[in-house]
Amino acid sequence: MSGRVSDEEVIRRLEEFGKSIAMQVLKGMPPRMEIPVRTLSNTIWDEKRRILVLGPAKAKREFLDMKESRKFMQTLLMLSLILMARREGDFPTIRDLYYMGKHTIRYRDVHGRERTEETWNDQQESNSVIQDIEVATGLLREEMGIMHDAKGKIVGRIVIKSKGYEIDCSKLGSGAYAIPPNPDRLEIVRVEADYVLCIEKDAIFERLNEEEFWKRENCILITGKGQPDRATRRMVRRLWEEFGLPIYVLTDADPYGWYIYSVYRSGSISLSYESEKLACPGVRFIGLTTSDIRDYKIPKNFIIAATERDLKRAAEMLRYPWFKSEAWQRELKLFLRQKEKVEIEALSGHGFRFLSDVYIPEKIEKKKWIE
Amino acid sequence: MVLIDELLSKERFEGLSPAEFFYRNREIAGFSNPVRALYQTIRELVENSLDATELYGILPEIKVTVDVISPEKNIVKVRVEDNGVGIPSSEVPNVFGRVFYGSKYVIRQSRGLFGLGVKMAVLYAQMTTGSPVRVVTATPRSRRIHEFELMIDITKNRPRILKHNLIDNSKRWHGTIVELTLEGNWSGARRKVVEYIKRTALIAPYATITLKSPDVELHFKRLAYKVPEPPEIGRPHPRGVDIELLKSLIAKYSSGREDPPTLVDFLVENFEGVGRITAESFLKWAGYDPEMPIGSLTIEALDDLARKMREYDGWRRPRAHSLSPLGSELLSKGVQGILRPEFVASITRKPSSYGGHPFVVEVALAWGGEVPVSDHPLLLRFANKIPLLYDEGADVSRKVVDKIDWNTYKVKFPAPLAVIVHICSTKIPFKGVGKEAIADVPEVEREIEGAIRECARKLRRYLTQKEKELSLKLKYVTISKYVDEVARALSIITGDRQEVYRRRLEEMIRSYILMKEVRRGVRKSKR
Repeated sequence: MSGRVSDEEVIRRLEEFGKSIAMQVLKGMPPRMEIPVRTLSNTIWDEKRRILVLGPAKAKREFLDMKESRKFMQTLLMLSLILMARREGDFPTIRDLYYMGKHTIRYRDVHGRERTEETWNDQQESNSVIQDIEVATGLLREEMGIMHDAKGKIVGRIVIKSKGYEIDCSKLGSGAYAIPPNPDRLEIVRVEADYVLCIEKDAIFERLNEEEFWKRENCILITGKGQPDRATRRMVRRLWEEFGLPIYVLTDADPYGWYIYSVYRSGSISLSYESEKLACPGVRFIGLTTSDIRDYKIPKNFIIAATERDLKRAAEMLRYPWFKSEAWQRELKLFLRQKEKVEIEALSGHGFRFLSDVYIPEKIEKKKWIE
Repeated sequence: MVLIDELLSKERFEGLSPAEFFYRNREIAGFSNPVRALYQTIRELVENSLDATELYGILPEIKVTVDVISPEKNIVKVRVEDNGVGIPSSEVPNVFGRVFYGSKYVIRQSRGLFGLGVKMAVLYAQMTTGSPVRVVTATPRSRRIHEFELMIDITKNRPRILKHNLIDNSKRWHGTIVELTLEGNWSGARRKVVEYIKRTALIAPYATITLKSPDVELHFKRLAYKVPEPPEIGRPHPRGVDIELLKSLIAKYSSGREDPPTLVDFLVENFEGVGRITAESFLKWAGYDPEMPIGSLTIEALDDLARKMREYDGWRRPRAHSLSPLGSELLSKGVQGILRPEFVASITRKPSSYGGHPFVVEVALAWGGEVPVSDHPLLLRFANKIPLLYDEGADVSRKVVDKIDWNTYKVKFPAPLAVIVHICSTKIPFKGVGKEAIADVPEVEREIEGAIRECARKLRRYLTQKEKELSLKLKYVTISKYVDEVARALSIITGDRQEVYRRRLEEMIRSYILMKEVRRGVRKSKR
């Protein structure tokens, strides 16, 4: 199965990283580690693969550098925690790791006074070194067996096998299957759908599930409840990569919704290093767009005035290389001119079933998506 | 004192005795209320004791005792004992019982200027409680100790001896004990008295001073065994004369001579740094015949002569042999012992002069340690080894200290910084009659500023070095505290013993940080 890294391989790569540092110490060299830089300046738009990737910039983290010694210590501490979990076959959450590694260092300051310091003060600090270890070893945290709050849901024409149990996602009644933190540990047994529809909003997902939209349309519904987490994106990526399904994204007509589409498709700036495994360059956007306001004659009472922040965000997106397509440039410029946004629910102005009966099928059949 | 002289001559015509005059004008001498009077009494007695010891090369041993006799009526007994040269018994009645008896009016630096203070204290005690002064004294090698009790007859300005006992001095004690019972407010004066004793101990580190009182006991043991060279008695410098001084010098010089002395001889033999050539060229410039007898000069002529002497710029600079600065080493010791700072820089400047009066400025800066942290430098002022506790705001030193941009010297306020300024002169340029603040005489101001800046540069060097050491130490501490964590993590990762990594890391930190230190040191010594 593609993307699946064995536990042995994970342990080997983590140890390799740690041992290179141990070696330096034993040789009496001031230890240093190289960590790829995770900032916008080191995020590159890969034109050919159409995804955001991490650039080549690397930062040296040296133990003997006063400003970096704390981060150095934190990185090694986290590395040892992850390794221990892997060796034991445990699956800690990022919060578990935070608590396992949090303890008090006692020392004397320059004036000889007794002082204490926490190995990390908040989870942001421990999360940050997890990300460092991800980029330094090229292993995603899911591959390292680290769990987090997964919020994605899936329902429709798909059968999954998890821990030996088969789950038929078309037999869940009113519910849906919660995507686990590491979808790579799932086996996808059977897919009988024609496409995948990713929905921004949970409420819309629930409504379409209730209507059994997926049965009628022979598709799979997925929601990431707003900005999709890594597990949801990994799931979508697998369905695209392994089963060649077309992927459609449905969001509100505002810059926030459009950025969700771009995260599915190209990856996010803050986590560009995972794009290789999470981005899904085949994703298509079916709506809602600013043009839909006119094309679908959205009633005036559903139209909302764009805020300053919306406009600023749209102006930024206009400059992103992955929004440079003709269609997107046209939509963004239209938004900036019209200064209007609408929610998916606006389509209910034409009746509650307008979305499922008319809008989605029409957009897909008539290929009215944009990329 | 000019003011007092003027008032006095006016009052004399109205038939007041000097004693009566002084009692009426007690504010001028610092006896305005029971708080100030008690402080002033202790001050006068302690200063007399220091003069009676250090001017004669004796290591001072001074004991101050304060007893509150009646808290309701504010009656206090003050006793000051020293191991000085004592007072010849024949002099005792006049020294304590007659205002304007004798004179310290000689050109050398000493604490009291006229010896008036102690008589004022006696007078004040007598007027407020009706008690006499008790004096016990013996001169070196004297076989007897004299004990007196006496009062001042105010209208006649004469001592009235109530008691005179002779005690056998088998132990060959010498020194003086003075005891006064006066109206004084101890709880009000305590803070100032303690501060005064402390600062006196600072500026006289060769003295042992103790204070015993109902609620405070101080004991300052001497920190040095060297008394500064006593000042020589000098002649007045021609730039510092006034008509009164001229008249008294002429009177003294003429008496008992057969030939009337000439003007040129008078100048040569009475003034500091005036030789025959200097005297003649001055007289030529001033338009006087060098050979004219001084007796023939009229009041108008004397006034003119005095003015021209002050204006003439051909005089040699006054010498400082009549001054007795502490010396930077002793000053440092005093500061070190009393303020207990982390660092002291001190300097004694070369002698300088203003208006014909020689002066020397000494400055010390104390930083850190027990020096209290404050938004401004703490200022400790001294004039002729007397602590100045009042009117700091009006003092030229305050002006100089506030003018200096301390950032230049790496001092960032609030900071633990004390500035100690000591000025020695045959005539301290006091501002006003309170004798608590130095006036802003440009020459003096320049010297004080120069001295403070010189010390401040030393302080900056120290602070820079300290900063460097601290940043190295900080680096060492910052990195070292993570060694255990890193060693443990590496041990988990590799399976090796934690101890191996801990030792290696510690060695590494030491050698890398120390190496930088050593390299820095080498570069410095090459220069």
